[in-house]
Amino acid sequence: MAASSEEFGAAWKIIETSFSSSKKLDPAPPVISPLGLQSAVELLINHGIGHIIEEWFLEVMNADLQQRIAPNFLAYFSSSVPEDEIGNFMSKVIAELYDNLSAYIPKLGQLDEISMCISLPTPSSMDGLNTVLYNEKKSRQPAMERAQSIFKAMLLPQYQIPESLYANVQKFYSLTMRVHHTTDEADIKANNEDRDDECIRCTGCCCDTDNCQCQTLLHIFHQVNQQLYELGLLERFAGEAVTSVIHEKIQDYVQHTCKGNFESSYLSCLETWLETKVVGWLSEVYRGSEGCERYNDPNTATSVEAYKSRLYYLLYETYTVVRIDQLFNIIIEYPESEPAIVDLRCCLEKTNLRSQLVTSLKTALETRLLHPGVNTADILTAYISGIRALRVLDPTGVILELVCEPVRKYLRTRDDTVRCIVSSLTDDSSSDLADELVRGEPLLLDDSCQGEEDMANWETWYPDPVDADPTKTSKSRRSSDIISMLVNIYGSKELFVNEYRTLLADRILSQFNYDTEKEIRYLELLKLRFGEAQLHYCEVMLKDVADSKRINSLIHNGELQGHQSMDIPVNAMILSAQFWPTFREDKLELPAGIKSSLDAYTKNFETLKGNRTLCWKPHLGLVSLEIELKDRKVHISCSPVHATIIMHFQEKSKWTVDELSVIMHVPVSVLRHKMAFWQSQGLLKEESADTFILIEEGKGGRHDIHMIDIEEETESAMASSHDQREEELQVFWSYIVGMLTNLETLPLEKIHTMLKVFAMQGPSTGECSIQELKHFLDRKVKEQHLIYAGGVYRLPKPGS
Amino acid sequence: MKVTVKSWTAVATWRWVANDDNCGICRMAFDGCCPDCKIPGDDCPLVWGQCSHCFHIHCIMKWLNSQQVHQQCPMCRQEWKFKE
Repeated sequence: MAASSEEFGAAWKIIETSFSSSKKLDPAPPVISPLGLQSAVELLINHGIGHIIEEWFLEVMNADLQQRIAPNFLAYFSSSVPEDEIGNFMSKVIAELYDNLSAYIPKLGQLDEISMCISLPTPSSMDGLNTVLYNEKKSRQPAMERAQSIFKAMLLPQYQIPESLYANVQKFYSLTMRVHHTTDEADIKANNEDRDDECIRCTGCCCDTDNCQCQTLLHIFHQVNQQLYELGLLERFAGEAVTSVIHEKIQDYVQHTCKGNFESSYLSCLETWLETKVVGWLSEVYRGSEGCERYNDPNTATSVEAYKSRLYYLLYETYTVVRIDQLFNIIIEYPESEPAIVDLRCCLEKTNLRSQLVTSLKTALETRLLHPGVNTADILTAYISGIRALRVLDPTGVILELVCEPVRKYLRTRDDTVRCIVSSLTDDSSSDLADELVRGEPLLLDDSCQGEEDMANWETWYPDPVDADPTKTSKSRRSSDIISMLVNIYGSKELFVNEYRTLLADRILSQFNYDTEKEIRYLELLKLRFGEAQLHYCEVMLKDVADSKRINSLIHNGELQGHQSMDIPVNAMILSAQFWPTFREDKLELPAGIKSSLDAYTKNFETLKGNRTLCWKPHLGLVSLEIELKDRKVHISCSPVHATIIMHFQEKSKWTVDELSVIMHVPVSVLRHKMAFWQSQGLLKEESADTFILIEEGKGGRHDIHMIDIEEETESAMASSHDQREEELQVFWSYIVGMLTNLETLPLEKIHTMLKVFAMQGPSTGECSIQELKHFLDRKVKEQHLIYAGGVYRLPKPGS
Repeated sequence: MKVTVKSWTAVATWRWVANDDNCGICRMAFDGCCPDCKIPGDDCPLVWGQCSHCFHIHCIMKWLNSQQVHQQCPMCRQEWKFKE
């Protein structure tokens, strides 16, 4: 049933007219009856060329887009549009585009119908070629989709989009988002209270409230979205802008909400915000408002869902980044900032920012904490709250370990670290460490928990995070408490115990109140931590104090046989020298009266404790004096040196420092320093250089009795830890000389090992690190007691 | 001017009046205590023998208990007798 070419010509004419865009300058297109069109199409289909209709139509449309619609459309975006016009601008541009393209859209439906007819040819007419075509048709996209991809390609070509297009689109969406939010809030506000008069400008559209554009803008917003959706351009056109607007919004909101406040948890309220505000808006963009046709389209719903999970991730990420930036402050404010830490922990599980957290916190610690301007005590406080906070953040302790390593390293370089730790451990006022001590768990040192993993709870076992140090057991990280961590800064209990001993000695010998109740309590607590053996010495020290008190009262009640009376009421602090830290050895010749009283006390003691005697430390002690001057009486508590000085002025009212120095056996420089105390009390005056005279009459004529406590500046009774250390190392020197005499030359390591074997065994000698030894030996080299050459030490040849 | 001392709190260390510093048995200081003791002084006293050698009481007792036949001073091998 072949048709003539005339028939084809007529049919094609009908198709051409009926499909051509009505927008062409053809005011009254000839009305074509649906029947005529149908027969024309059938003719083409029957001759196996039905598919060319669609190809032709799309080609025509393509040409129209390329020549007319696309250039016009893109031309609109050649420049940036101010914000107050963006709404109308978008409305106009998109509406025009929509008008242009919507002419094609109904035709596309018709085309689909035609394709349907083609795709169902009579089975009999199917030959080989037709089968191929048939299969091709089956897999063919509907015409609408093909048209939409042409729209995308033509209107928004990948590489030729003017930059201002995105800028404008973004402006539009960011404006509409703001409007959306403000109208949401305005609804709530309207319910709660009447109109807020102070608000002159609408926060949404930035217009006067009387002239608010919000509703118009919202209308435009929905219209633009709907039109773009129908053209299949919504995602391509708005996707990027929407994403960046939302990102910006999330970042702004998170920054703004969480700034500086660590005391409440924001995570759930951020999630609610995201769900209601952002996802709400997003769904308005993509799905329109409820009840509209595309709202029920499952495709849009799933794409919004997919978008949503990305937004959640973004929210967590943004929040985490904000918190990470503030982490140093959060730690400092711990435990008030605990909610922030808990939030951060949740977020860290959801994001991949762990390593960023570690690096950023490390840097923050280094720049803000670990420099010479910060007190050791402050560093310790920060370290302690860091330990606590990071334990909450990461119970496995890995972050803590990574982050605090520099802090520990730095603390090791500070001289007063141990002293600070020990004093805050036993300080009443600083609660942190003292509380920790009271909790009283036995001390866990690094090397003491090398044991196997606990097998009992293997089902709950969880591997350590990837950044954990594999050489350490996870138990050691999980379980060590704050005090253990502090002690581990140095890795040795001895150092701590020694420091505590010195501190205790200082306290006992500056207060002289024989009241040891509190100290005993601390000692018991420390014993729980450090073990009995380490603190044995301190126990003896406290017992000495208690014993001294008893001996004093025994001697003073005079019931001893052969009791020697004393002119001056002497109380003694009788110490077991072996158990106390080394004392500062200062000489002082006491006045004769005092000496005789002390001797009498010694006699009494010898009677009391057979075969034992006393060695006085004349420079230590506390003296309470009453000084009667011509016009006044002064009560003063001072050290024996001060007392001796003023007592010498009883005999003679004018002394030179040299004379006093000879009589008191005290170096001139020290004496001058001590005289200053009496000068400040107004009792002595430096008449001429180094000559002091007594002031009998106060110039101001103050007749009242002054009570003055011990001077501010209290010197430690103990040898400084530095001197002490020096002395300890000096002990090793004889060993070293011995070694080198026998073996001639030795490297540093060898000396250290040998000392470890031979010299570092007693409890009192303590230990000496290889660095310390090197330091010591280097000094010996400098002092020319030792020669260092070729990596080995040897003694200098005698006589050379 | 007249200075009256209301009280004088002085510091002293105690020591045993002995002819040596260390115990000949445990080699620890007399003023410390023997290895078995914790507290020096009254709790870990010294004893003198008639040979004038002295030891921590715990040390010499341990020594004497370990000697089956003759009880001798570990320093001079004379018969050990406590000095009255």
